[in-house]
Amino acid sequence: MPKIVVPPCQAACPINTDVRGYVAALARDDADEAIRIIRRVNPLPSVCGRICTRHCESACRRSQVDAPISIRALKRYAAEHADLRVAVNPVPRAHTESIAIIGSGPAGLTAAHDLALLGYAVTIFEARPVLGGLLSEGIPKYRLPKEVVQREIQDILSLGIQANTSVSLGKDFTIEGLLKIYGAVFIAVGSQKSLHPECEGDDLPGVWSGIEFLKRIDRGDSPYPGEKVIVIGGGHTAIDAARTCIRLGCPDVSVVYRRSLAEIPAGREEVEQAELEGVKFIYCVAPIKFSGEGRVQRVTFIRMNLGEPDESGRRRPVPLKDSEFELAADAVILAIGYIPDVEDLKRDGLKIGRKGTILVKDDSGITDIEGVFAAGDVVTGPMSVIEAMASGRKAAGAIHRYFRNIPGSLVDNRVSLRALDEPIAKQIRKVDRQPMPRLTISARKDTFEEVDLGYTREQASREALRCLNCGAGASVGINCAACLNCVRVCPFGIPAPGPQMAEIDISQCQACGICATECPASAIRLSTDDPDALRRETEMAIRRAHEENPELAVIGYYCRYHDPIGPPTERDELYWIGRCCTGRLHESQILYPFEIGADGVVVSACPGDECRFKKGEYWLAEHVQVARTILQQTGLSDDRLVLIGAEDDIAEFFERLESLGMNPLRKGKRLEHDRR
Amino acid sequence: MIVAEVKPFEEIMGMLGDSRKILVLGCGSCVTVCMSGGEKQAELLASAIRMAGNVQGKEISVSDRTVLRQCDAEFIRQIEDALRRYDVVLSMACGAGVQGITEWMKNVVVLPAMNTRFIGLSDGQGRWVEICAACGDCVLGTTGGICPVTSCPKGILNGPCGGNKRGKCEVSPDIPCAWVRIYERMKELGRLDDLKKEVGAKNWSRKQMPGRYAVRP
Repeated sequence: MPKIVVPPCQAACPINTDVRGYVAALARDDADEAIRIIRRVNPLPSVCGRICTRHCESACRRSQVDAPISIRALKRYAAEHADLRVAVNPVPRAHTESIAIIGSGPAGLTAAHDLALLGYAVTIFEARPVLGGLLSEGIPKYRLPKEVVQREIQDILSLGIQANTSVSLGKDFTIEGLLKIYGAVFIAVGSQKSLHPECEGDDLPGVWSGIEFLKRIDRGDSPYPGEKVIVIGGGHTAIDAARTCIRLGCPDVSVVYRRSLAEIPAGREEVEQAELEGVKFIYCVAPIKFSGEGRVQRVTFIRMNLGEPDESGRRRPVPLKDSEFELAADAVILAIGYIPDVEDLKRDGLKIGRKGTILVKDDSGITDIEGVFAAGDVVTGPMSVIEAMASGRKAAGAIHRYFRNIPGSLVDNRVSLRALDEPIAKQIRKVDRQPMPRLTISARKDTFEEVDLGYTREQASREALRCLNCGAGASVGINCAACLNCVRVCPFGIPAPGPQMAEIDISQCQACGICATECPASAIRLSTDDPDALRRETEMAIRRAHEENPELAVIGYYCRYHDPIGPPTERDELYWIGRCCTGRLHESQILYPFEIGADGVVVSACPGDECRFKKGEYWLAEHVQVARTILQQTGLSDDRLVLIGAEDDIAEFFERLESLGMNPLRKGKRLEHDRR
Repeated sequence: MIVAEVKPFEEIMGMLGDSRKILVLGCGSCVTVCMSGGEKQAELLASAIRMAGNVQGKEISVSDRTVLRQCDAEFIRQIEDALRRYDVVLSMACGAGVQGITEWMKNVVVLPAMNTRFIGLSDGQGRWVEICAACGDCVLGTTGGICPVTSCPKGILNGPCGGNKRGKCEVSPDIPCAWVRIYERMKELGRLDDLKKEVGAKNWSRKQMPGRYAVRP
């Protein structure tokens, strides 16, 4: 099976999101296109835009330059700012079969969404009174507001999905019973039973399960754990529990993790925010005993040394002999992991594996009971939301193939680009990553208001413009005359003379487009740049200009890297078109507006040392010079074209234009233009 | 490689006269490499002619197209039908291409957009220098690879004339004396003795025009 090359962000994404595509759309300030691209694969964009564990950002090659692109924050921005409000209508039934889905967490919701779109009747069975699984009960409101979750769930249900809440497996129905009514049953009940460390005293009052604690909060309860709370664990549940305790007013909250900060699963950003809120962190320590009279009062710990990496790749904690010590605590919250609650599943005949999860044939979720599928945390143990969604998607595909008798298998034929070569990475201009605006610490302390406020429009554009467009750069076509101009003009030194023509390493190309513009054979294409699209945009601008300003119509080209959300200056008669680098504007493109009736053209260049690539302003000046000469030679006057710095005043240019009058070409008929 | 440059725009417009349907024909070989007559330049020239024609109030229609080479009949014949649709074909190829179209396309009016300059060597991005005169009787083997025909204004073959001043040619101080360069090069190569061998007069009959070359004589 042939491999397809995708950028590292897309290759790392469990649901194969076209990250580069939607980030590029946001770089053009087009949130509608961005959300369209996201929704092709993601039915929960607002949720993921807040809590996804961001495999993409870990793979992002920008981190070789400064910091990875803030992809998750951009997804949230697109989800919340697109004007596009997709009307979700019930999907017409294409098939007679129906599917029962047990569990309405991310795996169940994604499977329901996919199967509904394929035209099946889907019914969800959820044990709790609300849909959403851990999304609704378990992930704190200050990270994931519940209105956001419910809104996205409603959108999914609007596809024509039935949902029953407050019905439990074992009490209200059995798998066998469901199979009599439905063609297939999909189990997506998740992993929600807390693991306990092997310690004496773990059943003392005051020792709580982290996930149960968080669920109680989301169900409306307001428990008060205690004055000195110790949270055991290092994942999101542990940090969530600790930060929740702060909000409940607990004065002393510590998180104890058996490895170091370098290994902590929740990640540095979460730890930082928790520390800012007052949570203390103790590393390389594990509990061995909980003790107290009538309730927990003390915890005995032992220090750990970190040894060789274990199967997970993380250094194995090894207890340090005679290093025991005690800490006082009146509440202990356990968050070291969870496993599925499989009692009812066992009773219904499903095989459970050694790790306490349902055994399935492979990624497709086929169990050993005909017609019964399983995916998500109940199969894998606790994984991230995005992995659960991917798991649900694969199972939905398997169910579809099962019904329709289509042979198939899950093959991931994606291959990613290699890392940026060091000399290239060094040449890329550093630009700071946009910080996420957050509530102040005092505003957070006793509310569950959402902490992350989301990017502004300018932030989203600026952050999206940091993207390197990996793999979307230049490719050389057969017209190449091997003139080697691209080899000589590339600011990064990437094209090389091949045996027959120039060769451009797509994994290193920075997609600046200067080689494409300078290529005398027009043999170089950039995936990110469509010259026809520029023509169309220019034509639309002229049409608008002639309607609104029949006397004087001027087209302007400005650089988005310098001015992400709008042109440097505004004037009624001036119609701007944003370009990602004006350095790649060729003479023909600068003159085209005149051919179709512009009276003047303004081109804005970035200041000398600020070009996002390198020397874009140099090439632009060359092309403007040639264009001006042609204007003079053709009798149109070179005063109609001006190159400005972003801060320059254009009043003088407009004065000259007014005295020159209308473009003489406007008097004649539409210019004939026959290109083959 | 053949280096050619576009004629001054006024001259081109003058040649085109009152032609109404014009095809600007670019060439994908030499003139693409020297960035003066390839697809990009053909498009640009067509655009300029169109604008100038319209400003002058002419009823003018200009198209552009590029073929891989204009000096081979097959490439011209491939677009034979297209060529006949125009009043005039403005060729951006070197003189060979212009004459190729003339030779193979009877009844097609073809005009040269270029002045063909020389056989040139790349001299940095966007720059070329004349390096070979196509004299037909190459003596580079005797001069350490430096051509006295193109580098020396007098084209002498056996050492410097008396006019060189401190290594610069008497024609212009910007021109280094070719024979000083040749001497230094032969010295580097340890072949100064070879310079003592006399090189006979150039066989200029090799330059009788039109020159002919065949793989099988």
